[in-house]
Amino acid sequence: MTGPVLAHEMGLSRRLLPAPAIPRPGLLVGGMVGLMAVAVLGLVGAGIVQEHAAPAQRLLAPGTIGHPLGTDQLGRDVLARTLAGFRWSLAVVLPATLIAGLAGTGIGLAAAASLGWTRVILERATETAAGFPFLVLAAPVIAIVGRGYWPLLIVLAILASAPFALAVFDATWGGRGRMPVFQALYAVPAALPVVGAFIVADLVVTEACLSFLGVGAPEVAPSWGNMLADARQNVTTAPWILYAPAAALVLTVLSANWFGEGLGQLWRVKAR
Amino acid sequence: MEGPRWEEGGHGIALHVARRLIYRAGQLGAVLMSVATLLFILVRLSASPAALLAGAGASHAEVRSAHVAYGLDGPILQQYVTFVTRALRLDFGQSPAHQAAALEVVRLRLPATLMLTAAALAATALVGVSLGVWLGLRADRPEHGWAFRLLLTGQSLPALIVGLVLVQVVGMTSAMGASAPLSFTLSALTLTWWLTPRAARLTAGPVAGAVRQTWVLTAKAMGATSRDVLWGHVLPNSLLAALALVGVQVAFLLSAAVVVEWLFGWPGVGNLLAVSMQARDFPVVEAAIFAIAFLVFATYAMVDLVLAAVDPRLRRRATPP
Amino acid sequence: MSTAVAEVLRLQELRVQFPDASGRSVVALDGISLAVERGEAVGIVGEPGSGKTLVALSVLGMVPPPGQVSGSIRLLGHELVGMVEPEWWRVRGRDVAMVFPDARRSLNPIRTVGSQIAEAVDRHYEGYPYAMTRRWVRERTLEALAWAGVSRPRQRFGHYPHQLTGDLRQRVMLALAGANRPPLFIADEPTVGISDPVQAQVMLHLLRRVLGAAALILTTRDPGVAAAVCQRVIVIHAGRIVETGPTDRVMTSPRHPYTAELLELTPRTGATDVGRARPGCAFASRCPNAMEQCRRLRPPLELLEDRPVACWNPWGS
Repeated sequence: MTGPVLAHEMGLSRRLLPAPAIPRPGLLVGGMVGLMAVAVLGLVGAGIVQEHAAPAQRLLAPGTIGHPLGTDQLGRDVLARTLAGFRWSLAVVLPATLIAGLAGTGIGLAAAASLGWTRVILERATETAAGFPFLVLAAPVIAIVGRGYWPLLIVLAILASAPFALAVFDATWGGRGRMPVFQALYAVPAALPVVGAFIVADLVVTEACLSFLGVGAPEVAPSWGNMLADARQNVTTAPWILYAPAAALVLTVLSANWFGEGLGQLWRVKAR
Repeated sequence: MEGPRWEEGGHGIALHVARRLIYRAGQLGAVLMSVATLLFILVRLSASPAALLAGAGASHAEVRSAHVAYGLDGPILQQYVTFVTRALRLDFGQSPAHQAAALEVVRLRLPATLMLTAAALAATALVGVSLGVWLGLRADRPEHGWAFRLLLTGQSLPALIVGLVLVQVVGMTSAMGASAPLSFTLSALTLTWWLTPRAARLTAGPVAGAVRQTWVLTAKAMGATSRDVLWGHVLPNSLLAALALVGVQVAFLLSAAVVVEWLFGWPGVGNLLAVSMQARDFPVVEAAIFAIAFLVFATYAMVDLVLAAVDPRLRRRATPP
Repeated sequence: MSTAVAEVLRLQELRVQFPDASGRSVVALDGISLAVERGEAVGIVGEPGSGKTLVALSVLGMVPPPGQVSGSIRLLGHELVGMVEPEWWRVRGRDVAMVFPDARRSLNPIRTVGSQIAEAVDRHYEGYPYAMTRRWVRERTLEALAWAGVSRPRQRFGHYPHQLTGDLRQRVMLALAGANRPPLFIADEPTVGISDPVQAQVMLHLLRRVLGAAALILTTRDPGVAAAVCQRVIVIHAGRIVETGPTDRVMTSPRHPYTAELLELTPRTGATDVGRARPGCAFASRCPNAMEQCRRLRPPLELLEDRPVACWNPWGS
């Protein structure tokens, strides 16, 4: 039960103890490789011309010539659509994260810098917003406004700014009170990429969920969520529609999470 | 000089609890106000507010009565006040699709959602928390590395994907055609999958922290067996800390439940929300959002209550030293 | 426990080493020998990292995992080195108990102080049927609290550590250690959690009281604390004993330059890199008296007039 850290607390010399567990860089490197793969696939996806429905080629099984992963119920190529999905996902999620990052950093810093009741109110408001699953509100909002790229982008950006603000506030407030400015200058830039990576992962999933529920991307857009909805419709007749978008979604989320966690571990070790 | 700084009395804990409950109620109020305001703006921006407010499939007379009920001819400020007061009075109007009061429609679906989340919570408490304790006790061991990565990977598999794979494995052609036990089992399974890695990671941290505390060393130095140390000292302290963290995840479980309930056709509030928003059944959508907001902050309040009941340190904050 | 044996603890050539990643091992304690008798208080004095806490942890069998203990630790005539964990459970808290420093962190914050002491009493309780033990355990706990100078023990029994002042917490810590009347107490920096100097004196006075029926080892970085309680002190540096003798003699006329530094007779110059294998005296790099020989040959612990000192060029010669 007694670990090395405890021994250190007991006044034993640091020299006697095994070196602090440096995280094997596997998470960080794995995450970076994955993210690079996602970026490359996004570029490839950007070059793909959107295929229109081709009724003659509906529900072709994988392995068909010209359609290695088969086609969906409208005759669209699953592989091409999945690749285009990278572009779509990144085009929605990255700007949303950026906007949320800017807004959240602003709110978080404002909360940390202000005094008295202003700070209390800003802090409590951020806490409340970050603690409420706004997905349940975002979905109906898009349902009312109508699905499309811009509603999705704006809703996701608003959704993600609260956790950003909370992370920035926590980084500058450090649990014990306001941090000196020079310290915050290091703490905030260190926290942002970690939170950013987690939020990218989260928003990719949220986008897919919204589209899956039919309140996200337009019906024709190559969103993975739309493709998963197609897969749901044709689950017994064409199970292959599921695999490619599911794998793409998992790859993106996994890479972002690994990257964020790896980076977070790295900062924690450096902080020691 | 010596003696406690204050004598422990009943009102310390009562004051603390009251403060937390008031805070949670305030949060709920603020969220409901914001939701109502946002919905009002959306309604005003829509082409025909009365038609939206009445809900899809409303007859001409129903649209007309919504128009009157919400005072849509009055000045904009008065419209806003009417809208918000109606919402806060939980008067969401009639759902034309269900031919019933929207609140009543939602209320009938609540038990299903509560049952589902309770099942997922129970399963997670069993699997996720044990995993977290196991992981936390091995924070310095090599197996911690791969176990942690496995959990992170599990967490990165979205509930949506897990659910779809389950659908495919079971061969569930249509959500509506599924039998209730099957749809309940699969929904609970998916939500447990969603919550387990999160709960495990959030438990592992406090456990690993508790193990390093000096008081664990004290207990051990007085002859505590490793089982006594674990059950008498490490677990009570760390699970208390973990509860506060997992409480937030439980609130987000409700948003994951929207997708999962819809996917498996489990007739809960989330399912109702998904179906109603697709059908643009505004009264029911509004009522469902309010219900979920209430559940979220009720969860937080419950966590507060448990913490206050178990953690003596929280009582101190209530009285000045 | 058998009280016929005057000698409570005897350490012989105690050695603790930590194997590091490269397979070499870092020697944290090297050849520590000492004996403590009933009614005797021995102070182990040394700077942080010198290994004094490790001596205490060795006697409790709680050296952190990679550490290996060799040599001999005889407590009440029983050999402790080589015991397995379940055997230790019976020894800890019954035959030897430790007073930890800074009771704010050394007591479980979410359990009442009474329950923590009662747990220790209960664990080493043998005999009566369970129905009788509850009350008996509670009475022993109250006795222990009163014995450690905690006023109104019945009331304190139900208090949580954060409700007590620093000195009271430290007394609770003492009550916990003394709950089973162990023949050997180890007090590690017993005054650290106490801010009031008068209360610190009271604490040391309380510690002196255990000496009626038990033996005491007190580890501290402050020679003054040791002087207030102990008849003998052992000065320890980099895991080795450098000087030992009656407290008053060591305090008034230190022979080893390190002892002089601890007593603040000479200015402190730098820190020792503990655990690095070196040929000569570990203190040589910061010693005002260092000679060429000190860096090459390790001085043995040899009787120098009235006491053993490990130094080639001690003060006063």
